[in-house]
Amino acid sequence: MLHALVGIKQVPDTTNIRIDPETGSLIRQGVPTIINPYDAHAVAAAVEWKRKLGGKITVITMGPPAAVSALQECIEMGADKGILVSDRKFSGADTLATSYVLAEAIKKIHEEDPIDLIFFGKQAIDGDTAQVGPGVAVRLGYPLITYAVNIREVNLEEGYALIERKTELRNEIIKTTLPAAMTCEKEIAEIPYAALPDLIASLRYKPQVWTADEPVAYDIAQIGLKGSPTMVFKTGTPVQHEPGELIKAAGTSLDKAVDLVLNKIMEHASGAPLIGGKK
Amino acid sequence: MSSKKIQFDVIVVGAGLAGSTAAAVAARNGLNTAVIERGQQPGGKNFFGGAVYTHALQEIYPDLWDRNPPLERPVTETGFWFMSKDGMVKATVQGGKLNNDPIDAYVALRARFDSWWADQAKSEGAFIIPKTLVEEFIYQDGKVVGVKTDRPQGDVYAPVVIICEGVNNLLTQKLGLIDHDIRPAATALGVKQLISLPAETINARLGLPSNEHGLAISVMGDVSMGMAGLGFLYTAEKAISLGVGVTLEALRKSGVKPYELLQRYLNHPAVAPLIEGGQLMEYGAHLIPEGGWKEMPRLYTDGVMVAGDAATMVNALHWEGTNMAIIAGQQAGLTAVEAHRQGDFSSKTLSAYQAGLKERFVMKDLYQYRNLSRFLDSHPEFMDIYPTFLNDALGMFFSGFGKPKKRLYKDILRTLTSRRPLLKVVGDLVSFGRTIIGI
Repeated sequence: MLHALVGIKQVPDTTNIRIDPETGSLIRQGVPTIINPYDAHAVAAAVEWKRKLGGKITVITMGPPAAVSALQECIEMGADKGILVSDRKFSGADTLATSYVLAEAIKKIHEEDPIDLIFFGKQAIDGDTAQVGPGVAVRLGYPLITYAVNIREVNLEEGYALIERKTELRNEIIKTTLPAAMTCEKEIAEIPYAALPDLIASLRYKPQVWTADEPVAYDIAQIGLKGSPTMVFKTGTPVQHEPGELIKAAGTSLDKAVDLVLNKIMEHASGAPLIGGKK
Repeated sequence: MSSKKIQFDVIVVGAGLAGSTAAAVAARNGLNTAVIERGQQPGGKNFFGGAVYTHALQEIYPDLWDRNPPLERPVTETGFWFMSKDGMVKATVQGGKLNNDPIDAYVALRARFDSWWADQAKSEGAFIIPKTLVEEFIYQDGKVVGVKTDRPQGDVYAPVVIICEGVNNLLTQKLGLIDHDIRPAATALGVKQLISLPAETINARLGLPSNEHGLAISVMGDVSMGMAGLGFLYTAEKAISLGVGVTLEALRKSGVKPYELLQRYLNHPAVAPLIEGGQLMEYGAHLIPEGGWKEMPRLYTDGVMVAGDAATMVNALHWEGTNMAIIAGQQAGLTAVEAHRQGDFSSKTLSAYQAGLKERFVMKDLYQYRNLSRFLDSHPEFMDIYPTFLNDALGMFFSGFGKPKKRLYKDILRTLTSRRPLLKVVGDLVSFGRTIIGI
């Protein structure tokens, strides 16, 4: 029987998000929150393997009380248990503090009910750091497979899994011992459309809430703002660059085309930017 | 999962204003109430930048202001702008009879407001099921006893169903409560942009003393390019909502693209400076059921009631609709409660819903304005000749210096009579009056 754990985050729906032109920060007011899309696919992958092997899925998140709805969405998809780690003392956490909090909570879960596989989304769409999943894996000392696109095999008897991961050049198939942690791309699994009784049950589901003191007594120096060495000096919208110049060479001779390109390079060498945009 | 029947006392289809109100009233009176909403969350499928009315909000929640409603600005100045190709006559009112406590109308952004309004229903005990589409009814002995949704094992049962499905009233049609699809001549397409600007900029450009002041404007004339329709402008706290609504029929005939219509409005010399430098936050379109009384479906049958846009509860002249939806939802909710008390869900019992609405402004106004939609459709001069004349007349009146005034008045009159004979003008005004009074 598989015990899968999925770490998720509740994020603002960035398709709706706007930047306040005066302050340069996100306008969160009135923006609906959703489960981080990569995390949703990670949950879906866990659900697929629970169906194949039997077992159960525990979902964990650190966040404000409102994050309950993201956990409910996981229950809707087929997860069995949700844990919300929530305490004012955690607020202001960066990825270092967050991975500490999650890793300690996961250790606690593992003590009572050993975990075989940990799933994360590859990154959250609000911060895009892709650091928490790997941070947790390192703290737990688990093998880590990032950018997973396909789980080929999970063999609980022999304690290994075959996981395909994406790299820039090619896909790799990794054989890992269990327990292991992975961060998932969206291709890992389709999000299931829940049956109505499952949806209704999930809307009524109340996850367990863990605080900074119970059942894990956290080291106060490692959580919240205090435990977060990351400092954000300034945020803003990136400057949009003009698209690159397209040189039409169809119909020109090879020599001419080469000249055109060479001229461009010389222009650049003399100070003009090679690609459109302000220097 | 268990195959236990999912049973409620009442099912509401759609968590818009009508739906969440019906659910709140039913749940408050002890009914086990489900609201089935197709959007990701209530308000998710809505697109609207207009006003909600405090009389209706407070009728449902007398403690409205303690509940912290997400309202934008109160409407402290309102009226008509009459637009010609390059000019504008502004006839707005502020202060005076508008100085009520609370102010009668507030601008709201519905995605936010509807989600909050649904939360209030939740606090009364209603159970909201999002992301689920109701596709069909479940019948037993010819009576509706529940709905089928698009989810596996998606049947939900209740002896009474309140349909608040919005303008695209497919379920209402399926029940045969109306025998045809929405009519292009009686349905407007509203296209809108929400443009964000700093609150101080909005205040300065529109002459508003503070963020606690706001504008709700109907724009008549060149904005609709001669088609039956109106433009509008509403001020949110840090954004201006501008749009045009014209009938689908007129759009089809003219071949004008909706975004061209909107862009033309936004480029008008009296409008463009108001939004200059603003950031586009939303762009979209939504149908508005302006057919009113004449297009109204039957409002009830055995086990079913219909409320809100699905029942064409919109007053196109006063831009009322949100308040009608709320009051209709309330009446439907109360009727469901009464039906449960009697243990009878037949159309005889549910007829109390329509009777209740007839006592209120909802049916009274819709009846009084029953000919309005057709009138505007057949009198394009109200969208074209008259607003332009108003601009010309006032413009000439205030620029005719050094001319004998007798000649000036003749000239002014000629700008009208050259386009519409005086006798016809009188006829137009009389029939407009009759349409408004409802005779």
